[in-house]
Amino acid sequence: MPTAPGWNGLVAHLHITPRAFLPMQGQESIALVAGEGIVGDRYRIGVEQGFYSEKPEEGRQVTLFEAEALEAIRRDYKIELLPEEHRRNITTRGVPLNWLVGQRFRIGPCLVEATRLSIPCRHIEEILGREVFNPMVHRSGLNCRILEGGTVRVGDAIRPE
Amino acid sequence: MPRHITLRVVAAAEAGPGIRRLTLQDPDGWRLPRVRPGAHLDLQVPGVGPRAYSLCGDPAEEDRWVIAVRREATSRGGSAWLHEALRPGDMVASAMPRCTFPLEEAATHHVMIAGGIGVTPFLSMAPMLERAGRSWVLHVLHRGGPPPCGDDLAPWAALGRVVLHDTLSAPRPDLATLLGPHRAGIQAYCCGPPAMLEGFAAATIAWPAGAARMEHFVPPALPPDPDARPYLLVRAATGESVEVAAGESMLAALRRMGANVDSSCEGGICGACEIRWLEGEPIHRDLVLPAARRATHLMACVAHCASARLVVEA
Ligand code: FES
Repeated sequence: MPTAPGWNGLVAHLHITPRAFLPMQGQESIALVAGEGIVGDRYRIGVEQGFYSEKPEEGRQVTLFEAEALEAIRRDYKIELLPEEHRRNITTRGVPLNWLVGQRFRIGPCLVEATRLSIPCRHIEEILGREVFNPMVHRSGLNCRILEGGTVRVGDAIRPE
Repeated sequence: MPRHITLRVVAAAEAGPGIRRLTLQDPDGWRLPRVRPGAHLDLQVPGVGPRAYSLCGDPAEEDRWVIAVRREATSRGGSAWLHEALRPGDMVASAMPRCTFPLEEAATHHVMIAGGIGVTPFLSMAPMLERAGRSWVLHVLHRGGPPPCGDDLAPWAALGRVVLHDTLSAPRPDLATLLGPHRAGIQAYCCGPPAMLEGFAAATIAWPAGAARMEHFVPPALPPDPDARPYLLVRAATGESVEVAAGESMLAALRRMGANVDSSCEGGICGACEIRWLEGEPIHRDLVLPAARRATHLMACVAHCASARLVVEA
């Protein structure tokens, strides 16, 4: 499988939330479980709480968002979106997420496979009370499946496999 | 998409005659979505549907939401359930809180008038105003006995911020006198029974638009619209369309097409059924959408349409 050469990124922020609508909370490290998701996060497969939990998806065990996209949104739309507000788990720096669909790469010790680009959801506007849907079209991050689990920490390297 | 937030009842206590105060938290005590003062919750009442209750806790307490509910003799099921069925430990489901009764941040003096349990939204505004160093006064009109949410009011009353008016032991105060004339920087608010809202509307009729805000508990009866006409309603997402008869509910028409639109009051006061419109000329008949937002959004439960075709995002 071809890889996008010449990039070398890192983990800037980590966030999880156990249920839909609740605020994302910053973490120093998160535990990725192969084939399932992140311990304590709403998208983890197999731990649905039945009562109105967010529907887990096979291809969305962990989600990524570029720090550079937050900066672009601030520049182009004058909207200050914080890392805990985009509602993805890993905020990356120096990783061309939009080029990685179908590829495998390492986040710290973990191996993931990008399944598809995330699409923004109108409900983020309801949660934030701000009109961020349009600014997030085409820069809403990446969904991945976890092939090899482990602990990911802030500052860990992200690199092509 | 899950439409609900799961909450656990962590405390329940009496808060005045026929009033029950409930504290709700995430089952793991996780932080809850941030709320604005004046916001309300739509709780999902089993077998009844969503019912709106104003949040009355301090919005700065991010791990809990508090509501105070009066047992209504003519309850449609909501208050009876909250009073008799719910116990600490029980789980409830709510929609995201919505704020249709916001504080006017720019105002320098806030005059609030509450009728009975209508005090609840002001209890969430009070700490925000106090911290911001604003000048404010809350008049609470109640009929005999201890006032509603007396324990929450007591510290504010001690500071002279809250004035209690027992209408059983003294004549009912004149709202125009409580408000005084309109002056620069003043913002007035009223939440209470329909007759009180009418009195408030009359007392502020000459005030500039927006300087006097009202929160309704029950939707006022809407007069029939003599200009109502049939129109074609189009869903932008699917391109489907449906004929809407003159005066027919847009919400019902959307649901006929399978659109998943929330609703609660179905009378234009709660904000649950807000959708975006793209083309056409909607007639807004709600009481909650700010003028600027009407350029892009409408309340589907009460809106009509002046054009032959209306395209909406739903
Ligand atoms: S359902 Fe309440 S405003 Fe439409």
